[in-house]
Amino acid sequence: MTREIAAAASFSFLRMLVAYGFALVFAVAYGVAAGRSKRAERIMIPLLDVLQSVPVLAFFPAAVYFFIALTRGGRFGVEMAAVFLIFTGQAWNMAFGVYEAVTTLPTDSTEAARAFGLSSWRRFRRLELPAAVPKLVYNSILSWAAGWYFLVACEIISIGKSSYSLPGLGSFIQRSMESADLRGMLAGIGTLVAIVVLLDVLVWRPLTVWAEKYRFEFTAGAAGESRVYDAYRSTGLAHALGAFWDRLWSGADRPIERLERVPRDSARGRLLHAFRILARTLFLLAAAAGALALLLLLAAFLRPPIPAEVAKIPAALFFSFCRLLVAYAISLCWTIPLSLWVGENDRVARIATPIAEVAASIPATAFFPLIVFFVVRALGSVNLAAVLLVLTGMQWYILFNALAGARQVPGEMKEMTRSFGLPFHRRARLAILPAMAPSLVTGSVTGWGGGWNALILSEYVTYGHRVYEAPGIGQLLVRATVSGNTRLLVWSIVSMVLVIGLLNRFVWRRLYAAASVRFRIDA
Amino acid sequence: MLETAAVRTGEPATGKGKQPVSLSVRSITKEYELPTGPLVVLENVSFEVAGGEFLAVVGPSGCGKSTLLRIMAGLVAPTSGEVLYNGTPLAGVNLDCAMVFQSFALLPWLTVIENVEIGLEARGLSAEERGRRANFYIDKVGLDGYEEAYPRELSGGMKQRVGFARALAVEPKVLLMDEPFSALDALTTINLREELIDLFRDPEILISIAVLVTHTIEEAVELADRVIVLSSHPGQIVTDRRIELPRPRDRRDPAFNGIVSEIFALIT
Repeated sequence: MTREIAAAASFSFLRMLVAYGFALVFAVAYGVAAGRSKRAERIMIPLLDVLQSVPVLAFFPAAVYFFIALTRGGRFGVEMAAVFLIFTGQAWNMAFGVYEAVTTLPTDSTEAARAFGLSSWRRFRRLELPAAVPKLVYNSILSWAAGWYFLVACEIISIGKSSYSLPGLGSFIQRSMESADLRGMLAGIGTLVAIVVLLDVLVWRPLTVWAEKYRFEFTAGAAGESRVYDAYRSTGLAHALGAFWDRLWSGADRPIERLERVPRDSARGRLLHAFRILARTLFLLAAAAGALALLLLLAAFLRPPIPAEVAKIPAALFFSFCRLLVAYAISLCWTIPLSLWVGENDRVARIATPIAEVAASIPATAFFPLIVFFVVRALGSVNLAAVLLVLTGMQWYILFNALAGARQVPGEMKEMTRSFGLPFHRRARLAILPAMAPSLVTGSVTGWGGGWNALILSEYVTYGHRVYEAPGIGQLLVRATVSGNTRLLVWSIVSMVLVIGLLNRFVWRRLYAAASVRFRIDA
Repeated sequence: MLETAAVRTGEPATGKGKQPVSLSVRSITKEYELPTGPLVVLENVSFEVAGGEFLAVVGPSGCGKSTLLRIMAGLVAPTSGEVLYNGTPLAGVNLDCAMVFQSFALLPWLTVIENVEIGLEARGLSAEERGRRANFYIDKVGLDGYEEAYPRELSGGMKQRVGFARALAVEPKVLLMDEPFSALDALTTINLREELIDLFRDPEILISIAVLVTHTIEEAVELADRVIVLSSHPGQIVTDRRIELPRPRDRRDPAFNGIVSEIFALIT
């Protein structure tokens, strides 16, 4: 079994790595493009907003159909679908991070770059990319956590009569669950947890410490320390990696700058210019054609005859919404007091933050069947189990934003309330909670996004040849997938996305606007 | 209208007049644990402040003067040594002190009057009494009419006036100021310094001791009866001298400049 697990773990890790590679390239390109041009920004950022709030998992069956058709039924198609799914779980927040870093570059720096006549490529290499490093590292950690979360779900899928399975840890765990093989299941989960923890210690923590030097703001702080990073430095490994990184980029410098320096009015310059325009036009045409095709496809599926089960959608959405609401309340109940405590006490912060980071990176999806099995056995309620599952997809986003919010409360503000001898609950109520409000709203938006995703996996869980179902939109969606009812699937997805869009538009965006005006700290 | 006039000319709430207090700093040492080893911020700092005294603490940045102020307020615990207030060692925040902050530390989501009332909350005053006192001190700092404004609608100088009103409203015996003017422009600073001296001399204001932390030597010499100069890394007392110049002080006076250059030479 050890061998089988090792092979499975390598396959899963490779899948993650490939998806992450794509996500990284996409994020940097998209973020820099949107950050540089006001015109591009107006289309690219709202689009990113939509992509981010759409529950990726709902589209997984559709993606599998598409990629399998593309490869004429090969396993490679399923592989592509899985990588695509992981990519969509990783890319958006990273792209936002790069975009934010580019748009919040200090004016001094951008003016200096212009004054020194830095070429577009040099500006990217010397200014934009380094400035994006801290946000990229931070968001990469979140992205890997999201990636593992989806990986467990996407290595195995049944659509209609056919079922597809990819070799990997996710499918290994799922198979052990289905056959109620407790030993295999624990071994699989143990391996997964070990990989997550190792990655955190060997990669992410050292990277976080390293990324600190690219920070523009000089607030003291949250960098922390990493013995592993110190070890990398003392053994020369850090230096070697740095040199490799530099070589990688400087190799590209010369050819790109030669292209940039071709004079506009020379024959080659005109050719290059024409080529650029052609490429841009083709890209826009392709994007438009893709959007049109998607709309036509949707219309075809939504056209009558409408399946009878569609009538169940409103009630299903309502049940799911209530489940999310309960999970949200639970999240707030434990994350806010914890953040307040961490914000008050540096020692607690030093202990709690790394624990929370690792805990958040462990994909709860691997435990879903176990949780359901034990909750149903102990309390007899599938509904409660589903709420718990949704909670696992929601709470961390809220926690991390609340923690960041509590850290951002200015020190003098906290000292001021202490100096007047106010009791803790009054200090929290008057100063800390209002200062945290914008971060809390951001956390709520992403948390609900995670919650909708988790919903799809939470309302229909298989453990030991038994299916546990809780009525809701997630259940409807999975049922439609399993029974191959494509029309119902599309109807469910569309109505779910519609509800999420309306919630974002009329609840979250308004709350955010209100919070960021009223609770902004600017003086 | 009559009522406000009565308030404005009337005695402050406690009505007892100035009571002299004493503050005694005894061999204070403060260390911070850093990954690179312990950092000694203050080393064996001792001095006494008597009632009626306006003390300034100056020093280069990083000399621990702000930390010293927070230790005197009871906000930060020293690694060793103690602070005696009227002969009793401090354990926790001293509610007879009020602090004015460099960044004002106003809560942007509260109005001016709500900000000023914050300090009164912990003193168990009725809502009516809180409002009366807040209004009285808002008038004192010259912000009459701005009670319902939000901090972001005010200029920097006005924000710090709210900071002063908030501190004065608790009717402290000791006023602690952490570089209160360093975030303001030069002209505003000149006006506020003069007003600060007037407030300190005002018989209606009950403050007995004022401690000002600053890195501007001129500010210290203009305002204080006595200046303590700290060195940095670690912070130790270099000089503790009285400023005997008559008031109001003239910054162009050769004697004034003599003292400034003398202190300047000690710091650099």
